[in-house]
Amino acid sequence: MNKPLPLWMRPWVRITFAVVVLIFLGAAAGGLYLTQTVPEQPIQFPHNFHVGSGIPCMYCHPGAQWGPTAGLPTTQKCLGCHQQVEKRTPEIEKLLNYAANGQSIPWVPVAIQPDFVQFNHRPHVAAGVECATCHGDLTKMTVAEPQRGQNMGWCLECHQKQGPEKWERLSDCALCHY
Amino acid sequence: MSEIISRRNFLKLAGLGATAAVLTGCGPAARYVTRNPYYDMPEYTQTGLSTYFATTCRECPAGCGLIMRTFEGRAIKAEGNPAHPVNGGKLCSRGLTGVQGLYNPDRFKSAVQRPQRGDPAVEPVEWDAALQVVKDALNGPAGEVAFLLGLNQDHLADLVTQLAETIGAPAPLRYGALGMFEGRATLVKAAEQVFGQAVFPYFDIAGADLVVSFGANFLEAWLSPVAYSRAYGRFRRAEPLKKRGYLVSFEARRSLTSGSADEWYPVVPGSEGLLAAALGKLLSESSGFSAVMDYAAVDVQAACAAAGIEPEKLEALAQLIARAERPLFLPGGNALGHADGLAAAVNILALNAGRGNFGVPGGVYLTTSPAGTATLTDLRGLVDRMRTGQVSTLFIHGCNPVFELPPTLGFTQALANVKTVVSFASFPDETALQADYVLPDHTPLEGWGYQYTLAGVDRPVLSGAQPVVVPLYETRATADMLLSAGKLPYKDEVEFIQSVLEDKVGQPDANISGTDLPSLWAKYLQAGGWWLAAPSLSAPEKNFADGASTAQPQAAGSGQFHLMTYPTLFGDGSGANRPWLQETPDPATTVMWNSWVEINPKTAEELGLHDDDIVKVRSEAGEVEAVVYLYPAIRPDTVAIPFGQGHTALGRWAERRGCNPAELLKVTMNEAGDLAFGDTLVTITPTGKRRPIARAESRVGVYGDH
Repeated sequence: MNKPLPLWMRPWVRITFAVVVLIFLGAAAGGLYLTQTVPEQPIQFPHNFHVGSGIPCMYCHPGAQWGPTAGLPTTQKCLGCHQQVEKRTPEIEKLLNYAANGQSIPWVPVAIQPDFVQFNHRPHVAAGVECATCHGDLTKMTVAEPQRGQNMGWCLECHQKQGPEKWERLSDCALCHY
Repeated sequence: MSEIISRRNFLKLAGLGATAAVLTGCGPAARYVTRNPYYDMPEYTQTGLSTYFATTCRECPAGCGLIMRTFEGRAIKAEGNPAHPVNGGKLCSRGLTGVQGLYNPDRFKSAVQRPQRGDPAVEPVEWDAALQVVKDALNGPAGEVAFLLGLNQDHLADLVTQLAETIGAPAPLRYGALGMFEGRATLVKAAEQVFGQAVFPYFDIAGADLVVSFGANFLEAWLSPVAYSRAYGRFRRAEPLKKRGYLVSFEARRSLTSGSADEWYPVVPGSEGLLAAALGKLLSESSGFSAVMDYAAVDVQAACAAAGIEPEKLEALAQLIARAERPLFLPGGNALGHADGLAAAVNILALNAGRGNFGVPGGVYLTTSPAGTATLTDLRGLVDRMRTGQVSTLFIHGCNPVFELPPTLGFTQALANVKTVVSFASFPDETALQADYVLPDHTPLEGWGYQYTLAGVDRPVLSGAQPVVVPLYETRATADMLLSAGKLPYKDEVEFIQSVLEDKVGQPDANISGTDLPSLWAKYLQAGGWWLAAPSLSAPEKNFADGASTAQPQAAGSGQFHLMTYPTLFGDGSGANRPWLQETPDPATTVMWNSWVEINPKTAEELGLHDDDIVKVRSEAGEVEAVVYLYPAIRPDTVAIPFGQGHTALGRWAERRGCNPAELLKVTMNEAGDLAFGDTLVTITPTGKRRPIARAESRVGVYGDH
């Protein structure tokens, strides 16, 4: 009767083990959650207001029509309107501070692809794809939020809709991976 | 494994850690990067894409076309312009380092005033005040203003010429060490005597089947090295109806060109002209050669004896030339920089004339670019005017006379009698150190301009230059400074350039065409210049009278050596502040970062010298110390020191490095007024000191174990 329990059957061992596993799982889940959050931006830029007031996306991100990257607006571009606009908010004060010091605004782009994907805005804009198709409805966001599920299947799904004559080219691996 | 963490637990922990790292690494947060976009984006930029500008390399007067790659408003990489008729997409090491001029940390970043000449300490000066200095000088007595410009035949040279004419000042002098060591003024003068026109001849090396070079190091530095290196490539290539070209070189030391030659004759420096005359005499006895000068007085045996070459070899060469279909004879600087240099140049050009290869493939053509290179005699005239106080304001742009000229000319001393010295230098060179005001021009990659090409192309070219980046510092275009005095009817530099381009509007047969100036201007900027679409140089007409010179080369006295000084990839010495160039091994000796004196091993043995010994090289004019490099491919009675090092100013990479052989040069001129630098005789004295120099050859690693 006094035969000792094997180590793995002792309650305190089991409890300790369970706690450790829970801690690790929690940490992993937390880490995973953190990876999906929107990064902190230097200015809480209200896309909803700007898009809502009728400013075209490509006024501030004109690179989309010319080349691979849409580009982030320069301080001077913001100032082009904001030196005329009377309204002062704490966020606009930040902008004016950057401008007064001759600094650029350290934006953090959220719509990004991995390095092994060569994405180019220009053909998509030229083909008439709406910005919102990939970037979501910016009239409902303040700072830009990353869109879920932008994986290769999602790209190909849309490419496939372009018709069989284009599909041959649009399904080529080297179209984006080179 | 330790007692505390068992192997099993360690593996478990490592696995968990790896899982956490992989899981967190999957999300976009791992890729979120803060970007710093522009404060104010330059025009024509696209984030993530390069912008390319066609412009002109202004590192030397050759005028090669450049395509500059810029990225986010910064100049990144210089490449040759493939459409440009001079360099056809190629570029030399000097041109590639253009960006190191732009980003050089020792640049003048704004206008400065120097309280004490020769003292590196400067005080900033407002541009308005600096402008007033320029205005006052230009509005003052015109005879007391002098302009000294570099060799580049560019828009500034044209503008200053016009300005000097308008205010009645003496015409600007254009001078530089490259012209000095290539005897450019002598070449032009000889062309005038033989061809009747004072212009640079263009030699079609590509079309020749035999090239005889009299000291013309055209693969390294002569006139337009990139153009001639390209031509050399075609010259050497055998094609179905074309033989592989054959190269013969007369040169006391083996340069890259002599090293590539099929036959290299290390002749006594200064005997090239005699040899040309002797060759003329031998050739005039063969068919297919109509002598344009009287070779009766030429003594072939004596010429061969003076040059140190066996007469049989010269006769064999004459037969080779007689058999060749399109032989070409090149008058290089080593042949021209002697007391009888003009006669030598005439003799060599007369060989071309004798074979009648004018205006034919493999022949000689006349360029259309303005040739106005000043001679050393002109420079001496300026120095005399300065010394006697006739110059109150001296404007210096694009050259560094304090470094480049032989000190015995007395330029530096004469500066003391000039009231105001204004330098437009971008870098703190030796001359800027003696200037009261330094009003830095934009560096070539930041400024507008055009440049005529030098003798390396078969058609008229107006090579275009434009800014590829916004000027980095508070610099101002010299042309704008000079125009601000209101003496010329141009608003600014660009308007002046456009006024020159206006003649080309509506002109057919060019690479670009436009019916009005704005459209031509746009195409000019895009193409990198204006040039005719097809080769169109005229052939010289024979117009020749003089007899051949039989002047003997000066013999070396006992214990004395001929000194050869030759330009390297540093050009006129201004390349010494480019670390890339300093680090580029010399093609013959593989030496980097220093000067050396080439001595034949036989001579060295007699003098008891070894590699890396420091010797004193002394001439009548001065002395320098240099490190010995035993070079088997140089005459035993000749020593050679490359030109370009030995700076006392010009920034961190150039200063206190090597020696300046200009200090050894005596001021003696040839008949054309060029410096007879090739007649310098030196003695060599060991100092007993040693200094191993960096060279790639015969060393373990780059710097060797020493």
